Amino acid sequence: MNQLLRRLEPLGWNVLPPVVGVAMTAMIVGALAAAPREIIEGEVQRLMYLHVPSAVIMYGAFGFTAFASVMLLWKRDMRWDAAARSAALVGVFLCSMVLLSGAIWGKPIWGVYWTWDARLTTTLILLLIYVAYLLARSVAGPLDEQAARYAAIFAIIGVVDIPIIQMSVRWWRTLHPQPIIFRPNPALPDEMLLVLLIGFIAVASLATWLIFLQWNTERAAQRVSALRAEVDHREMA
Amino acid sequence: MSAPGEPPLAGEVAIRARALTRQYGGVTVVRGVDLALPAGSKTALLGANGAGKTTLLAMLAGLISPTSGSLEIAGYARGSAGLRRAVGVLGHKPMLYEDLSPLENLRFFARLYRVSDAEARIEALLRQVGLWLRRHERTAILSRGYHQRLALARVLIHDPAVVIADEPETGLDPEGVALLDDLALRRPGLTVLAATHRIDHIQSWASGIVRLDRGRVVEDTSSLTTALVAPEAARATPATPASSGASVSPETASATGEGAR
Amino acid sequence: MSPFLAVVEKDLRLAWRNRSGWASAAAFATIAVLTYSFAFDLATGDVRPLLPGVLWTTFLFAGVFAAGQSFQDEVEDGTFEAMRLAPIPATAIFAGKLTANLIALLIIEFAQLLLATILFDAGLFTPALLGIVLIGTIGYVSLTTLLSTMGGHVRGRSVLLPVLVLPLLVPLLIGAVRGTGAALGLEAGTAPWIVLLGVFTLWSTLGAFLLFPVAVER
Repeated sequence: MNQLLRRLEPLGWNVLPPVVGVAMTAMIVGALAAAPREIIEGEVQRLMYLHVPSAVIMYGAFGFTAFASVMLLWKRDMRWDAAARSAALVGVFLCSMVLLSGAIWGKPIWGVYWTWDARLTTTLILLLIYVAYLLARSVAGPLDEQAARYAAIFAIIGVVDIPIIQMSVRWWRTLHPQPIIFRPNPALPDEMLLVLLIGFIAVASLATWLIFLQWNTERAAQRVSALRAEVDHREMA
Repeated sequence: MSAPGEPPLAGEVAIRARALTRQYGGVTVVRGVDLALPAGSKTALLGANGAGKTTLLAMLAGLISPTSGSLEIAGYARGSAGLRRAVGVLGHKPMLYEDLSPLENLRFFARLYRVSDAEARIEALLRQVGLWLRRHERTAILSRGYHQRLALARVLIHDPAVVIADEPETGLDPEGVALLDDLALRRPGLTVLAATHRIDHIQSWASGIVRLDRGRVVEDTSSLTTALVAPEAARATPATPASSGASVSPETASATGEGAR
Repeated sequence: MSPFLAVVEKDLRLAWRNRSGWASAAAFATIAVLTYSFAFDLATGDVRPLLPGVLWTTFLFAGVFAAGQSFQDEVEDGTFEAMRLAPIPATAIFAGKLTANLIALLIIEFAQLLLATILFDAGLFTPALLGIVLIGTIGYVSLTTLLSTMGGHVRGRSVLLPVLVLPLLVPLLIGAVRGTGAALGLEAGTAPWIVLLGVFTLWSTLGAFLLFPVAVER
């Protein structure tokens, strides 16, 4: 891990920021100007270029949290705790973006900001689970191994729970007679598809960069905490 | 790969540790501790607050796992049921259910250790620690000293070969300390490793001492450590000046030799 | 006698000695059922469709509330460490605590069902419904026990525990509420909900047993 990190760390500082800048600019220009206006939904449909990539990358971030949690339990290396926390925080940020952009889109299209639709409900529960994860982790200091392990166990349970939540919520909503909401899902025209692809690259690189920055912050907090403990230790001994 | 070449002495080493290290929150609390305490020896673990005594004892007891290094107690590897059965731990806390009676506490732990003929053993222990007449009271209402006595009974319930103790005298009156000496610290055949601040008391029981400073062993008069894990110990010991030995009496030092039965 | 039974017996004995704590969980559940039935009665004429939801939110809150406390003292008095020192597998400790919590909660739930039978005039003591209650309770007790076990050292955990557990229990809540509704004849078809409940309970129990030994490693 050390060697891999040493090789990757400069990329995080030097390569990622320009990539994020270019990709985000391209996405914004593409979404607001280049992509054609959707005939039925109008301008608000342009939110899709942010919404859909955020939703997908969010799952990636939460998945990475679970992976880092497994690694923490296995390797007992607190850097994995920093990684898990950072990914969860960025995941929560993306999840909020998804819900927010969805609500803004929902008002003109569905007539309501919120409905207990299967996918919406699942996403909201997901947000709650990872907010809870961050809360559970933050009750103790950056180097508290026990709290880190506790949070890691919770993250693992959470990620296994996600498919079951999805299944249960879908059953609940579909077995119950409900006004069915149509999401128009025709094949997208090529220009739209291209902008969407750029959106994926932009959000993915943004999320990676944010996780990287947050990881560095968490690591710094860990180091400060270690130094403080060392000072206490010396003073006491 | 814990023991390639320790032939005949192996059976007599009750507590063996090699390069035992534990990090906690970025601080190395115990670093590279080597120990080889003979069966039946009584060793006092000394050191200032924060020197790593409690962490070392918790590792030996199997409560926390070492970051690196290996350990073996009564020939059993870390995490084995054999090791757990061989060890009794007298901790900071009495580790008793306050809402159960002394009798119920001991019955519970006897069942966890599958003690045979438990009732007779419990009665004998309760009589020895002076709690037989109060065996049905709630533990919570017992005094600090009686808590400690009951804790002693709990530790001995499964007749362990090794007792690991963290400041066992805490809260005991002179009579209680005498009991502690009889039942554990000076009991023939029992291997004892006890962290303590009671320098005045160790002379009456310890056959040797191990002194920790900032997680390192800086003095070790206790054991076969030098003989068995010589290379590591030789490197660790002279690195620190012998500034710390002031309080150890000549008797303690001379008792070292008889440590190995 | 096995260590597992020793832990069960000890925990039940402690629960009985600390019955004031468990009683407040039961009292909370009772008050909740009363308040719900009163409040909903004000709003709608027919409260019976709300019964499954009332019962299960009550069960979950009482369960989370109760699970936390069986562990607080163990950690504070160091007895949990004493158990971990013993030559028994961690899963035996977990199974013992789980079983004791389960028994205590089933007793509380039984009382709630009696109360609800009177208040809502509903036939709650049918095999299907009792089965749903049993499966659902195993499902949530395994998770609350696991998470309460780990949180012993955390400050403010009594608030944290429900925040952690309840989102995870959404599938269980859906399965249990709908299943209970079906068992009461409020809707058709109990089977799919029992399947959902069973799947959740199976994974939560299995997961809790697998993760507990990892969780108590120090």
